Amino acid sequence: MAVDRPRRPAPVGARGGLVLAILIAFAWAVWQLELDFAALFPSGARLTILGDFFLGALTPDVSSLALSEMLRAVWNTVVFATAAMTLALLMGIVLGFLSSTAWWSEDGAAKGNTCVTCLRCTICPAVYVFARLFIALFRSIHELFWAVLFLVAMGVNPFSGVLAIAIPYGCTLAKIFSEMVDEAPRESATALRAAGASAMQVYCFGLVPRALPDITAYAFYRFECTLRSAAILGFFGFETLGYFIKGAFQDTDYGQTWTFLYALLALVIAADWWSGAFRRSFAQ
Amino acid sequence: MVIESGEMVAFVGPSGAGKTSALRLLNGTIRPTTGVVRVNGEELSDLNSKSIKALRSKIGFVHQEHSLVPNLRVSQNVLAGRLGRTSFWRSLRTMIRPPRADLERVHELLDRVGIAEKLFERTDRLSGGQRQRVAIARALYQEGTALLVDEPVSSLDPARSRDTIDLLTSLARERGLTLVASMHDLSLAREFFPRLIGLRDGVVHFDRLAAEIVDTEFGSLYQLDSEEMWGDGC
Repeated sequence: MAVDRPRRPAPVGARGGLVLAILIAFAWAVWQLELDFAALFPSGARLTILGDFFLGALTPDVSSLALSEMLRAVWNTVVFATAAMTLALLMGIVLGFLSSTAWWSEDGAAKGNTCVTCLRCTICPAVYVFARLFIALFRSIHELFWAVLFLVAMGVNPFSGVLAIAIPYGCTLAKIFSEMVDEAPRESATALRAAGASAMQVYCFGLVPRALPDITAYAFYRFECTLRSAAILGFFGFETLGYFIKGAFQDTDYGQTWTFLYALLALVIAADWWSGAFRRSFAQ
Repeated sequence: MVIESGEMVAFVGPSGAGKTSALRLLNGTIRPTTGVVRVNGEELSDLNSKSIKALRSKIGFVHQEHSLVPNLRVSQNVLAGRLGRTSFWRSLRTMIRPPRADLERVHELLDRVGIAEKLFERTDRLSGGQRQRVAIARALYQEGTALLVDEPVSSLDPARSRDTIDLLTSLARERGLTLVASMHDLSLAREFFPRLIGLRDGVVHFDRLAAEIVDTEFGSLYQLDSEEMWGDGC
């Protein structure tokens, strides 16, 4: 019996359509925003300022005063980021656990008593939905907006800066942690359940360890982001790198501006190197 | 079908016959759609979650893919065998800092399965055969009364396959365990298991002493019709 030849796929399939849709959306956005590409090529006074700014990159201020200020700014940024990240990690772990389904998901073959069934069918899903809504709401508000809110409420107080970063970051960590654990490979968890382990034991010893390398890598990446956010909070008056960058820029001292920008770059590279080293040690 | 305490039985049959499902029915991981499963006289469908956990903690299960946590140490994977008998907080302590007596017991078991030196090794650094031995040690550490083993030799070379089945049957004999295994390798099943149960399409094709089964019975067990031949065997 002759077998029909499989149909050749269309030359422009769904993917081609998607690329076309993205290009149309871009063109539409450019038209809506009335983007003037000529602005990319400044002239006159703007060109002079731009030239001076980039010239500053070649001649950063390395005077002892600038360097001591830079060290102070770097130290403050690291302290801010560390405090914010610690708080965010705590929030991420607690909310991540509450917004995960793996620790209460049904063991199909076991018949629970009324209390267990009630917990699994009503209370646990309710906690899950509430935690998910909570982290979605608090994550959707940017740290700069939180900073404005806390500045109004508490003034320029280190705690307001730390909270401004910790809240959205903690909720993002919670979302990612819970999804990483819920999506971790299940076969070892199934084996532990087959050996009589409880749902909590399965969660802690079968699922979390499998997700831990990814969770750690992601936490390190977020620490890098925290360093940048802590630096940016300086624009609001906290004495981190942003505070000094803003000051030097307003004084048109571009050499000093670049001293701080290089410090920020070095900080992010150092965090990246540290996270890489940690991940490598985890993989061994 | 009745399996007596201390008996050694192998399920044989083609892919998709229901061998793994049969094993999973025996420790209550899945429920039967029809019929009943009784273990020590207790009907599994009637057990509440606490009793079923207690039952599972007494039945060791060695999974086909070993199902170990790859980034934990060998000792921790073996210690996890007893989670069903310990409270959450105690198990947390044991997994982080195991008491000396527990660690010694784990070491003894690893020695018995031939990989004592791997006690503190990360599990994902072991070979496939060594991981299987860790899975066997974990099942033994449960100190239960039965051992269920799913396709123990599917990923091993012939020499290691024989070694593994030899190890499993001798362990079952020396500890008086009921051993039920699903097997693809007929010759090993016939050599090491006194009783074979042939399954096909979820139905018992034969249930006899290995010595009494003639080759034609195996032939008809594995005879594929054209639909099965081209199916994916799942």
